[in-house]
Amino acid sequence: MTSAVETESHDTATNRTAPARTDESERGALDEIFSFQELARLDEALTMSSRETGLRFTLYIGDLGERTRATAEQLHARSGHHPTDSVLLAVSPGQKVVEVVTGAGAARRLPDRACALAVLSMTTSFASGDLVGGIINGLRQLSDQAGHPASLRQH
Amino acid sequence: MGAPAPRAVGVERLKPVPAGKLSSVNTVEVLLVLAGIPLAIIAVLALLTLRGGRKRLRYKPGQPWDHAPVWYEPHPANGASDSHGPAPAAGPAAVGGSSTAALGSSMYPEQAGERDVDTHGTAVAHLGSAGAHGGDGHGGGAHASGAGAGYPPVDAGPLGGARGTW
Repeated sequence: MTSAVETESHDTATNRTAPARTDESERGALDEIFSFQELARLDEALTMSSRETGLRFTLYIGDLGERTRATAEQLHARSGHHPTDSVLLAVSPGQKVVEVVTGAGAARRLPDRACALAVLSMTTSFASGDLVGGIINGLRQLSDQAGHPASLRQH
Repeated sequence: MGAPAPRAVGVERLKPVPAGKLSSVNTVEVLLVLAGIPLAIIAVLALLTLRGGRKRLRYKPGQPWDHAPVWYEPHPANGASDSHGPAPAAGPAAVGGSSTAALGSSMYPEQAGERDVDTHGTAVAHLGSAGAHGGDGHGGGAHASGAGAGYPPVDAGPLGGARGTW
């Protein structure tokens, strides 16, 4: 009998087929770090702040190496087609470091002082163990600061 | 005073007794009612709360982070696959309609050739977009691409930002 949720992958995969959901769970669950609920919140925060401001916000969570700033800046250079107008939030929970990197164009709308304020509010949340809440609040502050340019207004 | 009425046991107790007479209760029944019922309620609540699903370790400051790095990026607007740049190529942070690109302050005037960097980046950037889309999650999560699997590096001019520790 086949149960509704198969626990083992049947060996029907070939080199040309896409990985099934059961393969993904072997590789590492999608919600390994955050629950799907938290992922949805992060997704909405990233997407909405990017659309509001016209800047591209990306979020990196992982180790940043010994020279955290240099690593974050290297990551920022690869964060999209227009790193000039990208903002990278790099959080390294293991090292307890958060870096915000703004490209030259984004820095004009997000001065370093505004980034520092957002970082301060993020670290307050992180220190109490609330990673997702801190990230979302930081994104909100950054996008509020960057504003909503007239060219992006649809109506 | 006569002899006490014989003790009613079992079904006998259900029979109506004359007014003013109370049926006696033995020790086991007292324990069952006063200790057994609270314990049963506690057991039910404990079962409901302690059972829980799959344990996801909550992050506590200071504990090591041994997850693979993950990079979340926003959904492209309008679902267009090639519009990862958030705004039109004319100059994303530039405010359309106004000739100036500066919104925030005049402290950071636009560097010469900054936009050239952008257009140069657009030319090479299509290589990475397929890989970045491959990581789209099933469960409504953000786009997640493996760290470093993103886009070709582009010089973004003088960088700004901030750094914090906790």
